[in-house]
Amino acid sequence: MEKTRLGGHYLEKYDEELEAIRNRVLSMGGLVEEQISHAITALGSGDVGLAEEVVQNDMKVNGFEVGIDEQCSQVLARHQPAASDLRFVIAVIKTITDLERIGDQAERVARMALQLARKDRPKNQYADVVSLGERVLAMVHGALDAFARMDVEAAVQVARSDVAVDNDYESIMRQSITFMMEDPRTISRAMDVIWAIRALERIGDHARNMCEYVVYLVKGKDVRHISLDQLEEAALGKKPG
Amino acid sequence: MDGTDTMSQQTTLTHGMGDKLFEGMNRTKLDIAREDICVEVKDLNLYYGQDHALKNVTMQIARHRVTAFIGPSGCGKSTLLRCFNRMNDLIDICRINGEIMLDGSNIYDRGVDVAELRRRVGMVFQKPNPFPKSIYENIAYGLRLQGVKDRKVLDEVVERALKRAALWDEVKDRLNENAFGLSGGQQQRLVIARAIAIEPEVLLLDEPASALDPISTAKIEELIYELKDQYTIAIVTHNMQQAARVSDYTAYMYMGELIEFDDTLSIFTNPARKATEDYITGRYG
Amino acid sequence: MKEWWKSGSPWVWLNGGAVTVSMIMVFGLLLLILVRGFGHFWPHEVVQTYYEVPGTDRVEVVGELRRSETLTGQSMREAGAPIPEDQMVVTRHLFKLGNRDVTGRDFTYFIDDFLGEWRYPRDMTVLERREWGDFYGQPLRLLEAGRTVAEGADLWAEFRARLARSNRLYDEIRQIERGDIGNINFRMERVRLDQRRAELRGTLTPELERQFAERRAALDAEYAVLQERLDTLIEEARRDSIVMRAAGGQEVTIRLDRIVKAWQPNDMSVFAKVRFYIGDFFDFIFGYPREANTEGGIFPAIFGTVTMVLVMSIIVTPFGVLAAIYLREYARQGPLLRTIRISVYNLAGVPSIVFGVFGLGFFVYVMGGAIDRTFYPEALPAPTFGTPGLFWASLTLALLTLPVVIVSTEEGLARIPSTIRQGSLALGATKGETLWKVVVPLATPAMMTGLILAIARAAGEVAPLMLVGVVKLAPTLPIDGNFPFVHLERKIMHLGFHIYDVGFQSPHAEAAEALVYATALILVLLIVMLNLTAITIRNHLREKYRSESD
Repeated sequence: MEKTRLGGHYLEKYDEELEAIRNRVLSMGGLVEEQISHAITALGSGDVGLAEEVVQNDMKVNGFEVGIDEQCSQVLARHQPAASDLRFVIAVIKTITDLERIGDQAERVARMALQLARKDRPKNQYADVVSLGERVLAMVHGALDAFARMDVEAAVQVARSDVAVDNDYESIMRQSITFMMEDPRTISRAMDVIWAIRALERIGDHARNMCEYVVYLVKGKDVRHISLDQLEEAALGKKPG
Repeated sequence: MDGTDTMSQQTTLTHGMGDKLFEGMNRTKLDIAREDICVEVKDLNLYYGQDHALKNVTMQIARHRVTAFIGPSGCGKSTLLRCFNRMNDLIDICRINGEIMLDGSNIYDRGVDVAELRRRVGMVFQKPNPFPKSIYENIAYGLRLQGVKDRKVLDEVVERALKRAALWDEVKDRLNENAFGLSGGQQQRLVIARAIAIEPEVLLLDEPASALDPISTAKIEELIYELKDQYTIAIVTHNMQQAARVSDYTAYMYMGELIEFDDTLSIFTNPARKATEDYITGRYG
Repeated sequence: MKEWWKSGSPWVWLNGGAVTVSMIMVFGLLLLILVRGFGHFWPHEVVQTYYEVPGTDRVEVVGELRRSETLTGQSMREAGAPIPEDQMVVTRHLFKLGNRDVTGRDFTYFIDDFLGEWRYPRDMTVLERREWGDFYGQPLRLLEAGRTVAEGADLWAEFRARLARSNRLYDEIRQIERGDIGNINFRMERVRLDQRRAELRGTLTPELERQFAERRAALDAEYAVLQERLDTLIEEARRDSIVMRAAGGQEVTIRLDRIVKAWQPNDMSVFAKVRFYIGDFFDFIFGYPREANTEGGIFPAIFGTVTMVLVMSIIVTPFGVLAAIYLREYARQGPLLRTIRISVYNLAGVPSIVFGVFGLGFFVYVMGGAIDRTFYPEALPAPTFGTPGLFWASLTLALLTLPVVIVSTEEGLARIPSTIRQGSLALGATKGETLWKVVVPLATPAMMTGLILAIARAAGEVAPLMLVGVVKLAPTLPIDGNFPFVHLERKIMHLGFHIYDVGFQSPHAEAAEALVYATALILVLLIVMLNLTAITIRNHLREKYRSESD
C-alpha cells in the first residue's frame, strides 16, 4: 500500500522524528527477538550464563519502551498528527507495549531455563519446546517485518500462524500432563516446562496483536477481538476461501 | 456523545467500493438522510472569467450540523461558501451554473430576492468587520434594515443575540460605545451576534478565528458548539485542528474540486483518498 | 569620513536640512507679516523738531518716525542734497507728517544732519479723521458753536468727553443711514419691482395700483420722519470743534464729527498704549473701510471672504461627494470612466484665471442672464443675477476646488475595507443601504480633508474673483436683516482682493504698506481658523469612525 508512508512531510523534522521512532521500534524488536532466541537456546542447551544474560537484558527492553513512549508523546504534542501519522503513533504505542510484554515472557522463559538447568534433562533436550519457541520467534520476526514494511498481507499471514502455535502449545501441554501422570518425579520439571510454553504461547498472542496494529496502521480499521476470517476480510478486502 | 451516535446512524459507509468510486468524480461516499439535508449543491460550476474556480461540486450540508471546508489556499472553499449566500454576485466576471437548493428551492433561480436570501443565510468573515457604530446599533443593523423600529423589540433582540454569542456579560454596560473599542475576539463575537440577530437558518463562517489569539479562538469554537443546535453552520478554515474540533462533517477541496467529503472522524483518522491524506498530514503529494 | 558616509547620516542631514529650510521659510514669512502687520496699530510717539537745510528757512517738523536708513554721501549729493564732499555716509529719516490737507504731503524724508533737537511734547495730539488721514498738532481751544468752552489744563478731558458724544451721534447717524433708510429703500425697490412685475404680467389693475401708491406713501412718510431725525442729529454732531496748532504755527479748526479718535502718544504709559493697541486692532477688524480703503477697518472684506468660502463649501461638498460616490461605487470601470477621471483630476491644474473667465462668460452672462429673464424680468434692464456677485464667485470657486473634493472623497471610499461592505451586504442590505449607512459615514473624514484643501485654496484665490463678483468697495454686506437675509446676487469684498487693491491701487502707497501686511495677516489667520474648524470636525469624525485599519 503506497498511501501509508512516513516521509514526505513539508516539515522534514517531522519525517525524521517519525523515522527515528520506527527505527527504535525495530531495534527494540530486534532486541526482543534476540531475547526470545537466547531464552530458548538456553532452555534447550541448559546454558545458565545465556539465561542469566536474558534476565538481565530485560531491563534494556523496558528502557526502550519508556524511551519510545516519550518520543511518541513528543510527536503528539508537537505535530498533532492526523490520519496515517496518527495511526502510526497509536500503533507504535500499542506495539511497544506488546513488545515489552514479549520481553517479559522471554525473561520468564529464561528463568524457567535456569530452573530446568539444575534438574535432570529429558532425552529430547526439550526439542518440542525449542521448536515451539522457534515458531513463536518466527511469528515475532514476521510481525516486526510486516510492521517495518507496512505489509498487511504478511501481517495476516503471521496472525494465521498463531493457530499453529496454539496447537503446538496444546500438544506439549497434553504431553507434559501425561508425563506427570506417568512419573510423579517429573512433576516439578513438567511444571517448569508448562510455565515456559505458556510464556511462549503468550508471545504468540502478542505477535498477533502486533499484526493487528499493522492492519490498523495501514487500513485504518480496528481488527481486534474478531475471528481470523473476519480479520482477513477486513484487512485484505476479500472473502477467505 | 449523542451527536456521534446519530451521525453513525445516518452515515452509511461504503468502503468496499474502493477508489473506483472517486475516479474523476466529485461524488462523495457520504449519504445524509433526505430530511436532514439543509443545503444541497448539485453540479455547481463557477468561473471567474476564463478561470474555472469550482468544478462540478456536488454535496449536501446537514441541518444543525457543522460542516467544515478545508483545503490549501485558492482551492475554492471560500468561493463555494460565498455561493451559499450569493456573495459572488458582487463580482462582475463571475459566472455560475448548477444548483444550490436551500430547503428544496434553488437559490440561483430567477426571481430570488438576494437580500432576503442573505437574511436566511448569514455570514461572518475572516477579519472582524463591525460597523462604525455603537455595539447596540451593530446588532440592530439587520433588523433596522427590515424596518423594525420598535425600541422594545430591538432591545430584546440585541440582548438575546449578545447572550447567544456569549458577549452579553462583557458588553452589557457599554452598549452605546463604539464597537471598535472591543478586542478582536469580542469584535468577532459581536459580528456573529449581529449575524444571528436576524435569525438566519444557515450561518457561514469564513475563517472566523484566523485573526484571533488562541483564547479568543477557543471562545469562538465554544460558540460554534453552542450555536449548532439552532443553526446549520458551514465553516471554512485553514486550521485543520479547528476543523477536527468543531465540525461534524469535513469537505476537502483542491483546485476547485471537492476531493473528499465525509464525517470528520473518518477524514482525520482514515481519509479515503491520498490527496486528502497528504493534505491533512502535511505532506506534498 | 568614509565610515560617516556609509553610516547613512548624510541622508539624515540632507533630509533634516530640507525640513529646516522649509520651516525657516514658513516661519520667516509669518514673522515678517506679523511684525509689519501688527506694528501698524502701535501708537508711535510724535516727534517735534525743526529742519534747516543750509541756505533755506528753518521749518518746524512734527510727525512719527517711520524708518531710518543710511546711504552713501555720493548718492545723496547726486540727488541734490547739500552734503559736504568729505562726508561718506548720510542718515535720513522717513517721517509721517499727517496733515495731508494742510501740507499736501504725508510722508517726507529728512536728512539727519539738518534736523534739530528731537522733542516729545506731552500735549502733542494725533487725531484720526474720517477724511484726509491723521492730523498731528497741539490742541489750543475747544469751541462750542464758535464759542470757547475749554482751554489749557482741562481742555483734554473735556475734549475726550465731547468726542465720545460726537462719536455716539455719528454711530446713530450711520445706523439710521445704513440700517433704517437702507431698509426703507429696499422696501421701496420691492414695491417698484412688484408693480413692474404686475405690469409685465398684465395684472396691474387700478385697485392694485392704488395699493402700491399707498405702500409707497407709507414708506415716504416713514422716510420723512427718519430724515427729520437725521437732520437734527447731524446738526447736533456739528456743534463742537477744536482748534489745533499744526506744525509751523498754523491754527486749524476741526469739527469733532470729523474725528474718529484722538490720542496723545507722548503722554501714554506702556499699559495705556497696549490698551489703545488692542482697541485699534478691534477697530481694524470690525470697522468699515474709509478713504479708498486706505483707512478704517476691513470688516466687509473679512465677512465677504467668509461668506464666499461658506457658500462655496455648501456648493462644492454635495457636488464633489456625489460625483465621487458615483465614480467609485456605481460607474462601470472602463476607458470612459478613466477619461472622465483624468479630466476631473486635470481640472485642478487649470490656471485659476481661466475659471474666472469661464465663470464670467458662462455663469454670469449665460446662466445669470437666463435667471434674470426667467425670475427677475421686472428688474430689467438692471441685472440681478446677470452681473458678477457672491453666488457666481462661490460657484466659480466651487468649480475650481471640485477636483480636490472628488479626489479625496474617492481616496476615502477606496480605503474602506471591502469586508465592511460585505458585512453589510451579508446582513441583507442592498447596495444603496450599505453605501449610505456604512460606507459614506466612514468616508466623511476623507471628505472633510477634501473640504479643508478646498477652503485653503478658495480663500486664497484672487484672480478669478475679480471677474465674477469681488469688488473694491461693496455698499452692502451679503447678509443682512432684509428678507431673504442672504443676498447671493450682491457683490462682495474679499481680503485677497483688498490686499491687491490697497497695495497697488491706493493713492497713498506709504500709508497703505502697513495695511497690506495687516490685511495679509488677517487673511492668513482667517484661513488658519477656517482650516482648524474643519480639521477639528474631521478629527472628531475620525475618532468616531476609528477602525483598526487606520
